[in-house]
Amino acid sequence: MDNMPDKVLKVENLSIAFGGLKAVDNLSFDINEGEIFGLIGPNGAGKTTVFNCITQFYKPDNGDIYFRTNTGEVENLVGKKTHEIIGKGLVRTFQNIELIRELTVVENVMVGAHIEFKSSLFNQFFRLKKTRQEENRMRKRAEEILDHMGLSSIKDMLVAGQPYGVLKKIELARALMLNPKLIILDEPAAGLNDSETLSLVNIIKEIKTERNCSILLIEHDMKFVNGLCDRICAINFGKLLAIGTPGEIQENEQVQIAYLGKEDY
Amino acid sequence: MNNKLMNFYKSHKPYSQFILFGIILSLLPLLVSLGLVKYSLLTTVASILIYSIVALGLNLLLGYSGLISLGTAGFMGMGTYLTAFITADLGLPFELALIISVAVPMVIGVLTGLVSLRIEGYYLAIATLAISEILRKVFVEFDFITNGFSGKQAQYPKLLGFLQLDRNGTYILIVFFLILVMIMMHNLVNSHTGRALSTMRGSEAAASAMGINIYRHRLLSFAIAVSFSALGGVLYMHFVKYTYPNAWILMLSLNILAVIVIGGIRSISGTILGAFIVFGVPDLILKRLPIIGSIDGAAYIFNGLLIILVILFYPNGLINMRFDIQKNFNKLFRRGEDNNG
Repeated sequence: MDNMPDKVLKVENLSIAFGGLKAVDNLSFDINEGEIFGLIGPNGAGKTTVFNCITQFYKPDNGDIYFRTNTGEVENLVGKKTHEIIGKGLVRTFQNIELIRELTVVENVMVGAHIEFKSSLFNQFFRLKKTRQEENRMRKRAEEILDHMGLSSIKDMLVAGQPYGVLKKIELARALMLNPKLIILDEPAAGLNDSETLSLVNIIKEIKTERNCSILLIEHDMKFVNGLCDRICAINFGKLLAIGTPGEIQENEQVQIAYLGKEDY
Repeated sequence: MNNKLMNFYKSHKPYSQFILFGIILSLLPLLVSLGLVKYSLLTTVASILIYSIVALGLNLLLGYSGLISLGTAGFMGMGTYLTAFITADLGLPFELALIISVAVPMVIGVLTGLVSLRIEGYYLAIATLAISEILRKVFVEFDFITNGFSGKQAQYPKLLGFLQLDRNGTYILIVFFLILVMIMMHNLVNSHTGRALSTMRGSEAAASAMGINIYRHRLLSFAIAVSFSALGGVLYMHFVKYTYPNAWILMLSLNILAVIVIGGIRSISGTILGAFIVFGVPDLILKRLPIIGSIDGAAYIFNGLLIILVILFYPNGLINMRFDIQKNFNKLFRRGEDNNG
């Protein structure tokens, strides 16, 4: 049963509470195929919690998360194990970069394709043909992605000590390894300077057009979101404020109040 | 010709390094028979190599997976008793004993892991400590198999049913297994499982987002560590030819931990260096010094001090000293060049 034509993700009546605090409260939204969708809201609005519910880091108290997987079927992600999510074609990045300092840049990116590695432990222990072929194939794929992002000069360096903007790009590269249907970016532009932000915007736009995948992102920076997103969902205190195009969201009174405060006359 | 050999060596690193290391180690019996070094040195070096194998397993667990086991000695001891029982009491071939004596501790390790690794990583330390003490108690109490406190004996291994090894032959067998373990370890940490372990240690969130099953990989790395411990136990039994319960106490597990901390976490050559320092220096140097040599716990004091110093100055292990030595060497060299110019 396909109840969501042309949609890649459909969040329905999502709720989760920590103790007495309702972090996400009956939230619903959906994302069209090939769309860049922004999730905005003031600090503590519950944006990252929504992400963690979608990727099953948190188990939601209520609600459904329907996702159109790699195979085109629609599956409810609720109740799946965290490590099963990437196999469905949904991959995420983190607000505080989660890369491995002891590995090189290209090795970090190769981790993104972990579930595609099939060679057995015995093969790996003795580095037999199957392992060698697999390693070469994945390394090549990782290098191509890094090359595309202009990072090929640092591919064999350790991640430790790389500048912040570069780390963000490496994390994005890792997310691209499996050609996902939907990429979830948690504050991709946080902590970047203007030129780094600009370069990131271009990369995200390229990903959308070249890889034919949808992107869901959290962001604070309204300028960044308005320039990039097709549609935006604004939330506050875990509740939906408005969904619409960037123009509509800017005009929305409730969003303005949430962001700028209310004037009392 | 010489150049060709050099190029072959360089293009096949680190295998060529490991094998060269193995060849150098294999020369030791020759030196002993020529009377150039003492007979007892072979015993010391053999036990260092055995402990290196065990420590490599623990380094995979601690350095790559971020888990701690305090049961190393127990699993090693189990390897010794099993192989002694199978070869000496049952009279079965060495190869079979080797396989069973590695497999059984591994299964027990996995069972321990199944229970303790589900929650948080550090519960493994507690569970393995308990298992190790239980095993030691078993070595004492099941005296119809283990001979209790008086210990158990075995012989030098007989390979393939006809090749009876002597002391030197068993030593070469130990070298062979060490080099094999070094190569396997190197390959594993540079393949996708190794990267998955590192990712799991660095960030569990990233690991599960990338599809790495944390529980399964924790179990896997613990199973490998236990089987390396048991392999060390089997080799120990057939070289020393004697095992007794008090050889497998917590102190040994902590010493193996010290090997990694002192030598180098996440480093194969560092582990070997650490084993030579922790298990070699007290025997080969400290005991021969005046005054210090007569102190009973000199080895413990030495290891303790060394751990503190290493953590202060080389937090990733003494193996990283080579970078500093190289840097200073370069500096000296460059200064020389400047003077000339």
